[in-house]
Order: sequence, then structure tokens, then C-alpha cells
Amino acid sequence: MKLEILKHFEDIGERFLLDISELDGTDTKVAGIYCLFAPTELVRAAGAIPVSLCGKREKPIADAEETLPPNLCPLIKSSYGYAVTNTCPFFAESDFLIGETTCDGKKKMYEFLGRIKPLHLMHLPYSTTEPHAISFWRDEILRLGRFLEESTGQKIDRDHLRFQIRIHNRIRKLLERIARFQAAEHAPLSGLTMMTVMESKSFFVYPEKYLDMLGEFIAEMESVAASGFSPFEPDAPRVLLTGCPLGKGSEKVLRIIEESGGAVVCMENCTGVKGLDLLVDEEEKDPFLALARRYLQIPCSCTTPNIGRINLLDRLISQYRIDAVVDLTWHCCHTYNIESRVVGDFVEGREVPFLHVETNYSTSDVEQLRTRIEAFLEMAGCRSNVRFANSRLN
Amino acid sequence: MPSSHEEMWEKLNLDIDAHAGLLEVLGKFYGDIYMSQQGRLRGMEYLDFVLSEVHGLRIKELQDAKVSGRKVIGTFCVFVPEEIVLAAGGIQIGLCAGAEVGKGEAEKVLPRNTCALIKSFVGFKLARLCPFIESCDLIVGETTCDGKKKAYEIFSDYSPIYVMEIPQMKNFSDRELWRSEILRFKTQVEETTGNKITADNLKEAIHLLNNRRRVLQRLNRLRAAVPVPISGRDALLINQISFYDDPERFTAKIGELCDELEERVKNGTGIAPEGTTRLMLSGCPMAVPNWKLPYIIESSGAVVVGEESCIGTRNTRDLVDESAGTIEGMIDAILDRYMKIDCACFTPNTERQENIVGMARDVGVKGVIHYALSFCQPYTMEAYKVEKALAKAGIPMLAIETDYSMEDVEQLKTRVEAFVEMVR
Repeated sequence: MKLEILKHFEDIGERFLLDISELDGTDTKVAGIYCLFAPTELVRAAGAIPVSLCGKREKPIADAEETLPPNLCPLIKSSYGYAVTNTCPFFAESDFLIGETTCDGKKKMYEFLGRIKPLHLMHLPYSTTEPHAISFWRDEILRLGRFLEESTGQKIDRDHLRFQIRIHNRIRKLLERIARFQAAEHAPLSGLTMMTVMESKSFFVYPEKYLDMLGEFIAEMESVAASGFSPFEPDAPRVLLTGCPLGKGSEKVLRIIEESGGAVVCMENCTGVKGLDLLVDEEEKDPFLALARRYLQIPCSCTTPNIGRINLLDRLISQYRIDAVVDLTWHCCHTYNIESRVVGDFVEGREVPFLHVETNYSTSDVEQLRTRIEAFLEMAGCRSNVRFANSRLN
Repeated sequence: MPSSHEEMWEKLNLDIDAHAGLLEVLGKFYGDIYMSQQGRLRGMEYLDFVLSEVHGLRIKELQDAKVSGRKVIGTFCVFVPEEIVLAAGGIQIGLCAGAEVGKGEAEKVLPRNTCALIKSFVGFKLARLCPFIESCDLIVGETTCDGKKKAYEIFSDYSPIYVMEIPQMKNFSDRELWRSEILRFKTQVEETTGNKITADNLKEAIHLLNNRRRVLQRLNRLRAAVPVPISGRDALLINQISFYDDPERFTAKIGELCDELEERVKNGTGIAPEGTTRLMLSGCPMAVPNWKLPYIIESSGAVVVGEESCIGTRNTRDLVDESAGTIEGMIDAILDRYMKIDCACFTPNTERQENIVGMARDVGVKGVIHYALSFCQPYTMEAYKVEKALAKAGIPMLAIETDYSMEDVEQLKTRVEAFVEMVR
């Protein structure tokens, strides 16, 4: 089943570029961002438009490696490669960039990127539960605010910030509702389609229009869900994909899982549901503190210990009735790689099969991955059948 | 090493057989790399002795100190303020390890593409080979790099660990973050040791540790003489042992060694023939017994006259200002001193490039060998910038990425020889 409305999601990047080109000649600035930690409410409150930058394809990596060491994750190399070859249209549209110290590789890559375009680096605290964390991070958000004001020439008005906070909360709620359709016994969308839908969240010029688009999509999804349609076989093992972010161009592992008969009903990563359940407190008097609190809870592996991710996985495994968890680590991403053991211990402790996959953007290991994933799903599928039978008996 | 220590090692729950094997290999390795040198300083006998007793008498001293109520605090990073530990009557010990022995164990819990230093300390713990780790009342980790930060989460399954957050930038708010972390650490150390930190004991600790830095600074000045009066290997060993030995004794002994060095410099006695190519090392720390690269360099017609690393000038270059009289003032002085550390975990860390170029000029080298452990992203990424900065100053650089294995020794030797040939 192909929904007409999906086309809007597939074309959202082009739509963004069109909308932006109409603003040519105005003072509107575009902020290129790389990470969920960039507070987009604040960017919008300063009158700038945030957009995610490319970094999901293999192509520009060779150019990046002229400067960066090969033992670096493909996402970082690809991001830098796009920038240095000027082949990412969103990068080209960006007036300035917002980076963050999530990992060593990105942190040091931004030193090079800052030579190409003005770059503001946000400094993230890693021990998010220590007493210094919240005030430190609030200060960092204020520092970003000052940078934004200077770059856009527009003052950040607190009421406008509160307005943006409400809008962004609504966006998160709608996206969360969309993701939740997959929790049904018959998941109505393939993981690949859902990925396209979720990726749209970083490519819109007009938030209200985007909200409308999400609302329309939900209405259509409701009728699909009511029809009981699902692209998956009824006994397909329900897979949760967690770990490093992926998207169009780097969807290799997701694709292989679904080609091997798995149903990826949930993605716990930055392009998936990570952070969708975290809202900014609209009642808090100090909107900067409210932002700081919300963003500090993002369960990224750069924080230590990253208890939030375990809690989130715990909830998602139940909510989405997960049969198997696949943890994707991009090659040389130390934080997700090392954390995989913590995650694996937890998932297996819940008696859910767990597979850790470390790979990069190349296609050279596709068949090898397929063999491993097929074997894993076969094993998980047996368990899924047991669950299926049990649910019939109950 | 005398077997009389065996009882102590058993008490510390070491794997006795594997540990004996480790000591045997270490002894042989040390013999090959160190005892084979000609014309060494008399003062090195002390270092030879300390190293031969590194798991013996030094551990016995720690155990005896523990019996008398002192606490042992283990660390992995020059960022942990030793002044605080010393002021509270504690003993601080560096736990970084430079051997591959526990690698197999470590790789059961850590990814293979984690740097050798991290795998080594985790491996030493898991394989029950390190009496220092087993002697600790508190182990302190820090968030310098991704690998260490996350490895401590794994390490904590086997041993409790206290983690300090290290800032990654040097803005005003980072200073405040670091102050809050130093104060949190102070409270923890007071709790662990049961001793209060006072203005008096803190002042004394600052002075004692500054003296240790001063003597190492003196060593660095003297070794830069022409001809070179001490091998790079020996100087590295002295720096390595500064992390294990009693600071007061160490300072006195290295003072004596420096007197001897001074004499040599006056007489124009060198360790290597005149005209030997002078090189400098820069990059990741080399923990005991990681002597591979210095040995390769010094058997390739060159001599190492400086180490820009944590086990080197990064740990000794800056002193804590001693003029403050109150605890707050002294904490401020400690804060200032530690914020000067130019670790690659900082961004943009341009001061490191300046420090390297300055040092290369000061000690007069023909070239710099940049050493990074495989998979250490901060240092491998900085290598590119360091090379550019050095090139601007007309100093060639060779970037080496390696680990603790011996597999690449011949390959490294070929590259180092070619580099020495080129810069000569």
C-alpha cells in the first residue's frame, strides 16, 4: 500500500530548498546542524531556520580522508567530506553551523569545519547527573543564544521562545504518535518508510505547515491502521533497531533486516524515537532552564553513565512488543561501541535476543551482514512464534 | 624479584602464575632495552632498582602505609589533582599501563578497536595482574576521551570507580565546571581518607608536588644539552616512575641524578656520539613498560631529547602558584594550573601546537615524531595540525600510529630510519 501523502515526506528536502530559495534576498539565516542536542526552538526564536546537514553517504569520504584519519566513523567523515567538496545543498544554504562536543571525532572534526563556515560549538556536559551539569548546560544554551543573536541580528524574545517551545513540543508529540502506530500488532509501515517520515523532522522552513502535514499523515494512518494492513508477514519477528543514527543513504542495516524477514517496528536512535518523548516544560518561568533540562535528558552514548538509554529501551521493548534488538555501531564510534556491551547485557537480561553490528557506509560487507542477520532473525523468529502462540492462547 | 612478595600478591588476589610470567618478560625486556645501554648515569641505578621492585617493595610500602591508616588512590590521567590527595594524607598512584598482557581478557568486554592504553588497564584488572589496582582504596576515572569515559562504565562492573568530568573547552563556564569538579573531588577524598584538607596541609602538598615538577623541569633543561647527556629512554623511565614512587624520595633522588647530569654537561660528556640526530616525541603517553618507540628511535641513529606528552612535559611544565594562603586561593591556583593542560581532548587546543613548536626549538631538534595510539581520535586528528604548525617552523614531522604489540617493530624501524636519514 502506497500512501499519496508519503510523497510529501520523500520530497521534503527539495521542498525545503524551494522554500528557502524564495527567501533569498531577505535577512533570513539558515543554521546548519548536526545533532539532536542543538536546541532548534532557540534557533527559530532568533529567526533562523535550522536544517540537518548531509553525512549519510559514502561518496565524499575519500575527500575527507585527505585531512581526517581513516579510523573515524563514516558519519563524521561523510559530513566533513560533503562540506569540503561543497556537495551538500543544505550546507551550501547554511549561513553558519552549530556543532557540539558529543564525541571526540566530531569535536575535533569541527575544528576543521570551522575553517569553511562560521561555527558555534556547544560544550555538552558528560556527567549529566552531577550538580554542575544543569547550570553549565544552561550557560551553554545562553552562549548559543548570544551567537544566534549576533548572527541573525535579531534579539531572542522570551515570549517568542516560549511560542517556539510549544510548537516544537507539538511536533514531537505528533511524531511520537506516528511512531506509535508501529506498536500495533499489524505495524502499518515498513521501517524504511517510517525512517523517511521521521527524517522529515529536520527539513522544514515553516513549522505550522509541517504540523499540518503531520496531522494529515496521522489521519491517513488511522484509516490504514483500522484496515489492519501491514507490509510484514504476520509472524515476522518485531525488531528494535538501536545505536548510531542512520538515514537515507546509510540505511543498509535496516534494509537488510527487512529483506531478511524482520519487521523493524521501532528505531531507538537520533533519526528514530530518541528524544521524542522528552518535552520542554512549557510552564517553567525560565525558558532557558526548561530547554537545558529537556536537552540534557537526551540519552546519547556521549553521556556517562547513559542510564536514560537503558530506561528508554526498557520501555520501548514492552511498548512495541519487541522480539529482537539489533544494535548498530558505525565503525570507530567508541561511545556506542563500548556502550553496546551495557545495552546487550540489559537486553539479554530481559530475555530478548540481541545482535551487535559494527559496520560503515560501504557495501563490501552486505552479504556478510545478511548472513549474520538472517541467522539472528531465524533464532528470534522461533521466539516470536512462541509469543504469537501464547498470545492466541491467552 | 624475590619470591618473598608472593604472599603479598596472593593476598591481593593476583593470578600468581601469570604474574610471574609477566615479571619474567618485563625483566628480560628491561634488560634488553635498558641494561644494554653504554655509559649510563650512576643515578639510574636507583631507577633500575625502583623498576625491579615496582610490583614488590613499592607495593609493600603501600600495604604498610595502608596498615598505618593511609589510603591509596589510583588515577589514569594527569588531570586528577594530586595536591588534593596528598593534602589529605593519601597516596596517589598512576594506573595507566603499557603492556599487552591482559589484552585477551579486555577484548572480551571492550571492542577490539579501543586504544591499547585502555585495553591494558582493563586487561590488567580482569587478568588480576596489577597489584597497584588491587591496592587502591579509590580509583578515579575522568571523561577525557570517548574510549576512557565509556570504558570506566565497564570497569565499574569489576571495581567501583569515581569519575571526574573534564571540560573540553576553556571558556569561563568550563573553569567553573572544573572548579565544581575539584571541590566534589575534595569532598570525596576527605571522605575516603577520613582527613580534612586544611590550608596548611594543602600548602605543603602544593609545595611538594611543585618540587617534583621542578626537578623534572631541571632534568628536561639538562638533557637538552649538546652532546645529549642522557638517553631518551632513561628520561622517559624517570617520568614514568614519577607516577609510582614516593614524591619526596623521588624528588631527592632525581635531584642527585641531575647533579650528576650537570657535571656531565660541564664536562661535555654525552650518551650518544656527537652528531647523533636529535628528535622529540609528541603525542600520547607512554606508560610502563611501553618503551617500544623510544627504543626503535634510539637504535636508528637518533636520540630523543624531549617528550611532549602526559608522561613528559604535559605533566611537569606548569607549576601551581604558591602565593595563596587560604584554601579558596589555593583551589584557584590549582584550577589555573590544571586548566593549562593542553590535552587533545580540548578544542580547539591551539596552545598545544604552540607548545610543541616552542619546545622543538628550545631543545633543538631536527624533527618530531608524533606518536598516537591506534584508535585514539583526539591525537590522531591533531597530528594533522601539529604537522602543519611544525612545517611552518621548518621542522619535519613523522606521524606514527601504533599499539603495544611487537608485530610492527620492523616496519616502524624502517620508517623511523628513513625519517632520521631525511632530517639528518
